[in-house]
Amino acid sequence: MRILKTFQLKFSGFKTIAICLILLNSLSLASIFSSLHQAGKFTGEDILLKQMIWIAFSWFMLIIFSFINFRVYFNSAYMIYAINIILLVIVLFFGKKVMGAQRWISIFGFTFQPSELSKAAIIIILARYFSLNSKSFIKGFLIPFSLVVLNALVIIKQPDLGTALILFFVFFIMGFFSKVNKLYFILTLSLGLLTSPFIINSLKYYQKQRLMVFINPNADPLGAGYTIIQSKIAIGSGGVIGHGYLAGTQNQFNFLPERHTDFIFTIIAEEWGFLGVILLLMIYWFILKKIIQQLLNCRDLFAFYLIVGISVLYFLHVFINIGMTLGILPVVGLPLIFLSYGGTNLLINYILMGIFLNICQNQR
Amino acid sequence: MKKQETKNRNSPFQAYTNILNYIYITGFLILATTLFYFQVIKGDYFSNRAQKNYVRPMLIRAIRGSIFDRNGKTLAYDKAVFNISVIPRQIYKEKESLFKEISIFSNYDKKNIERNYKKNFENLYTPVDIITDIDKSLALKLKERFGDNIIVNPQPQRYYPYSYSSSHLLGYVKEARIFYDQLKQYGYNPLERVGFLGIEQFYDAYLRGEDGGDLLEVDAKGREVGFLGKRLPKKGKDLYLTIDADIQESAQKTFEDKTGVLILMACADGEIISLYSSPSYNPNNFITGGKTSVFLNDPKSPLLNRSIQSAYPPGSTFKPVLAIAGLEEKKITPYTPFFCNGEYTLGNARFRCLKSHHQQNLYQAIAHSCNVYFYHLALLLGPRSISKWSIRLGLDSYTNIDLPHEKKGFIPTLSWKKKFLKQNWYAGDTLNLSIGQGYMQTTPLGLARAINCIATGGVMVTPHLLKRADDLSPWIDTSKTLDIDKKNSNTIALAMRETVSSDSGTAHMLEDLNLGLAGKTGTAQTGKESHGWFIGFFPFEKPKYLICVVLEHGGSSHNAVILTHKFLEDIKQQGLLF
Repeated sequence: MRILKTFQLKFSGFKTIAICLILLNSLSLASIFSSLHQAGKFTGEDILLKQMIWIAFSWFMLIIFSFINFRVYFNSAYMIYAINIILLVIVLFFGKKVMGAQRWISIFGFTFQPSELSKAAIIIILARYFSLNSKSFIKGFLIPFSLVVLNALVIIKQPDLGTALILFFVFFIMGFFSKVNKLYFILTLSLGLLTSPFIINSLKYYQKQRLMVFINPNADPLGAGYTIIQSKIAIGSGGVIGHGYLAGTQNQFNFLPERHTDFIFTIIAEEWGFLGVILLLMIYWFILKKIIQQLLNCRDLFAFYLIVGISVLYFLHVFINIGMTLGILPVVGLPLIFLSYGGTNLLINYILMGIFLNICQNQR
Repeated sequence: MKKQETKNRNSPFQAYTNILNYIYITGFLILATTLFYFQVIKGDYFSNRAQKNYVRPMLIRAIRGSIFDRNGKTLAYDKAVFNISVIPRQIYKEKESLFKEISIFSNYDKKNIERNYKKNFENLYTPVDIITDIDKSLALKLKERFGDNIIVNPQPQRYYPYSYSSSHLLGYVKEARIFYDQLKQYGYNPLERVGFLGIEQFYDAYLRGEDGGDLLEVDAKGREVGFLGKRLPKKGKDLYLTIDADIQESAQKTFEDKTGVLILMACADGEIISLYSSPSYNPNNFITGGKTSVFLNDPKSPLLNRSIQSAYPPGSTFKPVLAIAGLEEKKITPYTPFFCNGEYTLGNARFRCLKSHHQQNLYQAIAHSCNVYFYHLALLLGPRSISKWSIRLGLDSYTNIDLPHEKKGFIPTLSWKKKFLKQNWYAGDTLNLSIGQGYMQTTPLGLARAINCIATGGVMVTPHLLKRADDLSPWIDTSKTLDIDKKNSNTIALAMRETVSSDSGTAHMLEDLNLGLAGKTGTAQTGKESHGWFIGFFPFEKPKYLICVVLEHGGSSHNAVILTHKFLEDIKQQGLLF
């Protein structure tokens, strides 16, 4: 009974987010089902089952992490970071190759993607550094930046451009909120933009293709641009009210590749139309709004930076993923949080949500 | 609660929270606006594209109507050929290797396959013809070997058995996409065939038929997953022409490589029995992708239908027109004599005749083609009267034959010269006009019609090629009758008969054909070598056939007469005249 009581107390402020997450879980399963449903037949029982297990497991982990005092991460930030780097290196040497990228480690049939862990590890270690409130160049900028660069380099090697970019974005936004001289960040950002042509040059062929395609998707309709064109057609053809569940022709006739992972948004947009996707954006907006409202309750810089990091991470995933399916951002291979098929991403996002919950209770 | 709000307002993180709030709101607004643009504003456009993605029309071409000659011989028909096509989306990845294998297997040049693929590519889901026009056994072998990677579809292909001899009459067919801008308003599909030149173009609406097709539902790989509907193609209507294919062949044989025109027309109603323009071309080459550059680059322009598209000075073949004018205007009688001493002096200029003919009446003057006689007659008539009669006989208007791109002749008038050359009309112009020289130009068919009108006592026929068509009312005779005194036209017929029958006639060599031929020769001077003309009709008492031969730069009329002889002898021997 006591446990139940604690639970009630714990999750009283969590109702809105929980409802939003459950809605997203349902939509995720429905859309994955739809994406694997073709010509009246369903072909992906194992994928759907795996995703259900991942969802259940993620909820379980969310609750577990909501009981762990977030202060623990302040002390174990280095360790988490180190584990993350080690896992990434392991992936580089022993990882499983899926679609030309070596991002996965396979454990008992469930694949694990360590680059997802990086997102959490970087948020924690940056929160630690910035919360020290140091104004010095070395402690406040150089060390955290080097840690991000190191992590990003290992990830780019996989290659996973999207995640690497996200790490930098998180770094810059969190850094802007710190006491460190903003000039460092501005200079680094400009330097990064100036050297980007050289960086683009060193990219993998398919990454370059994807960037080129972003500039003109019609240039190569059967190559990398195919995905964007088909994705735009699917989204656009949804119209105001959509084709209805399981009735999207682009999805049902197999015109969209990778549609249960990175391009799941196109299925939703095709089936549920403009009204549906606006509703979806509102759900995401509620979650983000709830999270940043919590900033006002913070009395602890470490908690503050953690929440900033988590919300920025969520926001960037939503913005970049939907942006790339619409062709307004390059296709960098980021999942749509809480919706895309993929266990590690779901798990990490739920764990971060658990950490956030714990902060809420501690800061009350 | 109140306490908490106060605390919130005082939070040191208020500013940061606001910044994040604004960033997120901006981000979501960008997404929402873009989605609004894609789904609401451009929704119909993308729906349309989506539909094109998964609905694939498979064209079944209509069989085009056949074209027959007056005896039921086939001039043009559709034969079945087999095309090999691929769906780009389906073979995209293995395109190179597939083309290579097909090339080796079928002995068909890989470069051609690639060229066809590029040429016929429309979109990712529409089958693209890569090999066209192969026989059934090879098509089936290819299908057996490459299975679902290729599509074998039988296609109707136009074929012209009388390749060279009837090309100007018939024209050929092209893909409508070449003229799609003009044709789309008439409901043509870019892949459809459309008649180009000749009968094929003029009667395209009858020959065309209606394409049908299957509407299939396909997936992203182009695999058929459903069937939406079918429309059966409708065959086009058959046409029967007034042409005699054998006489056409004979005309081609007569000309060999000479340049010119041969027209054989029924006098009573303007049925064209033969219409040949030399040099000719092989229309089949334009359809099977055979060599066409020889026709396109030939300086003799074989594609030109000289009978209706070239205008020549008529030379002495114009003289019967002058004669009918003289008789009708009562300026002369058939026996009015003029003296020819070999030339006619007008001021300082001397206008020559062939030789000194001495005293000539109309019969002699036409038979001998005496220029001086007609100089006198022309001066008696005056230029206005000559122009008037030329125009009455239709020399400056279209004959309205059922062929496209007809040109008309040109008759100079006083007002024209004043207006365009800013010169007065001189008596010399009248003399030049009288012998069909100077500014005057006529198309062979136009002059043939005018002479036919004189020979038949005033029947202005509309030359035509169509005899009848399925479901189409038979040809309506639109000939007009000019008010010409039968006595006068008989006089000219007799005079033209003299040309052939008299020993001294300019076409006497034709007499041995025993056809009762009457005619008029003409040598039209040009800057280069002269054009030779012969226009005649037979039998002269009651004309049945009109023949017109033009030998471009043929030297003199004599060569045209030789050609006429060769032709008439040939068709007479073959018993082709009825």
